[in-house]
Amino acid sequence: MEALTHLLHGFAAALSLNNLLFAFAGCMLGTLIGVLPGLGPAAGTAILIPLTFSLDATGAIIMLCAIYYGAMYGGTITSVLINVPGEAASVVTCIDGHQMARQGRAGSALGIAAIGSFVGGTLATVALVAVAMPLASLALKFGPAEFFALMVAGLCLVVGLAGNNMLAALLMTVIGLLLAMIGVDPVRGAPRFTFGVEEFYDGIGFVPVVMGLFGIAELLLAAEKRQTHMINAELKTWLPTAKECRQSAGAIGRGTVVGFVLGLIPGVGAIVPTFMAYVLEKRISKTPERFGKGAIEGVATAETANNAYANAAMVPLLALGIPSSPTIAVLMGAFIINGITPGPFLFTEQPALVWTVIASFFIGNALLLVLNLPLVGLWAKLLKVPFSYMCTGILIFCVIGAYGLKQSLFDVWVMLGFGILGYLLRKLDFPIAPAILALILGPMMEKSLRTTLEISGGSFAIFLDRPLALAMLVVPVIVIGFLIFKPRSLSPLRESDVE
Amino acid sequence: MRQGRLIATGAMLAFCLFALWQSLLLSLTDRLGPGPGFFPFWLALIGIVLAVALLIATAREPRDPSDDETRILPHGPGALRWLAIVALLAAATVAMAVVGFRITMLVFNAALVIALGERRWWAIALFAVLGSFGVYYVFTTWLDVLLPTGWLEF
Repeated sequence: MEALTHLLHGFAAALSLNNLLFAFAGCMLGTLIGVLPGLGPAAGTAILIPLTFSLDATGAIIMLCAIYYGAMYGGTITSVLINVPGEAASVVTCIDGHQMARQGRAGSALGIAAIGSFVGGTLATVALVAVAMPLASLALKFGPAEFFALMVAGLCLVVGLAGNNMLAALLMTVIGLLLAMIGVDPVRGAPRFTFGVEEFYDGIGFVPVVMGLFGIAELLLAAEKRQTHMINAELKTWLPTAKECRQSAGAIGRGTVVGFVLGLIPGVGAIVPTFMAYVLEKRISKTPERFGKGAIEGVATAETANNAYANAAMVPLLALGIPSSPTIAVLMGAFIINGITPGPFLFTEQPALVWTVIASFFIGNALLLVLNLPLVGLWAKLLKVPFSYMCTGILIFCVIGAYGLKQSLFDVWVMLGFGILGYLLRKLDFPIAPAILALILGPMMEKSLRTTLEISGGSFAIFLDRPLALAMLVVPVIVIGFLIFKPRSLSPLRESDVE
Repeated sequence: MRQGRLIATGAMLAFCLFALWQSLLLSLTDRLGPGPGFFPFWLALIGIVLAVALLIATAREPRDPSDDETRILPHGPGALRWLAIVALLAAATVAMAVVGFRITMLVFNAALVIALGERRWWAIALFAVLGSFGVYYVFTTWLDVLLPTGWLEF
């Protein structure tokens, strides 16, 4: 009941003209980011941070969140029309979505994707309202030991998803944590690893690093390949038929549940829920042979799971202060830039802000549905913009974003350096996401651990006296150990399931 | 690819060793508890163990013939575009401190779109002006974002 009252107040604030405009602009820009192949939600959200510099904290967060879920939806358009996923989570949508487009049913595919995204996103936000406050209340009872263990667990889960690349993911996590150590020691205030360079005293900037590792690296990869795309699907209608809606209803429901549950687990990534929802739908279907040949349920469930995941992934961030994916880490960075620390205290210290942002999720989902159906043709036209202009335009935003936060050209160098590094790491198949999450969690992890050890007089035995902290440390280690040594036959998902 | 992964892991091992040495220069503990060097010391130590394990695992991997065809550094016609982006961005970062955002981005925009294949002079000129003076106006006037003016205060 308390949550509902807060939510109503949140709606009152979110429906103000300014906040509506920020949500609208965020949805439009996010969809644009999603439409552009190669530029994922993490890079897109980071690149657009400078647009929010002059906004108040609430407006900035509303706009960046809208960019995030707009990007998650935008990837669908290219998946259906030209068989190129705008972002990784839309890969599964290509399978049946593009087949539908080739059969002249592109409008139905995009329509059901928009409806599924709306239903999935909205129901996931309802569940977020129900779950976030109790979870935050529970987290308020946490001491530094539990917070440290929680952050270790979050990072371990991210690493756990790296599959055969787990050692590399663990190493990348440590590298990210070590980079986070540059700057002033968060407990004693002593400078560390600064080598007399003034700019290092503030630490390595999160925004330039993310822009480099995701944005610049993506551009360098695209420039090497020279991506050119041609629109080859005609759009006659943009609404599915009543029969198609009936066919998709069950798939949308199941996609919501799969997306929401997996969204709560840090590190799962958006592609896993869409993949699992698709496999589930195919396995329970009476006509599995239609999948891969233009089954509308395949599009509906994948897109629903995608948006349910996107909204559910906000629960660990808002309630626990744990980012569950690189894009959520970028959003966490944006919270911190605006002087807000996500986590359990957010609900008690800044209830107006957090509930306005949550209310804006509902509004953003509705805006995406209303805006995107009629605008699909416009988004498709954007793909005809030549790479030379697209690339240069994105670089202008990257330079402004890296420079604008601290008015430091040093940060532009940092961005360029990490861009080249990101390009090489991507080619060498080193996972970047664990390093990004570690970079943002590093200072908080160190502070929690050192405070814990100060309380215990330097003894690690304190973790044995705190069963919750111990469990959160031991369980991920067991999971990672299991994943490293598991028999190959236990792999739950097979590539053949989506062929 | 395999060789590239070995070199990259070796570089990460060197980074962890350097971090370990640097953290030992800081105090690991003080009278209040763990000191500034405590956390980075243990991280660097874990990093060294992981890097060595990854080096061994990569070295023991069976050779994949397709690996030899995977090039890590940019190659082919794309290499020039790649180089153009990196070189122009680096040059722009240097120039911005001297001549400011507007003039730097005017030249940067024109040079990069030409390097990436555009040849219509009017489109290049329009894009260069909008992407420098236009963007500067929008960000400084409407969005209150400070952009570099350089030594020339322009």
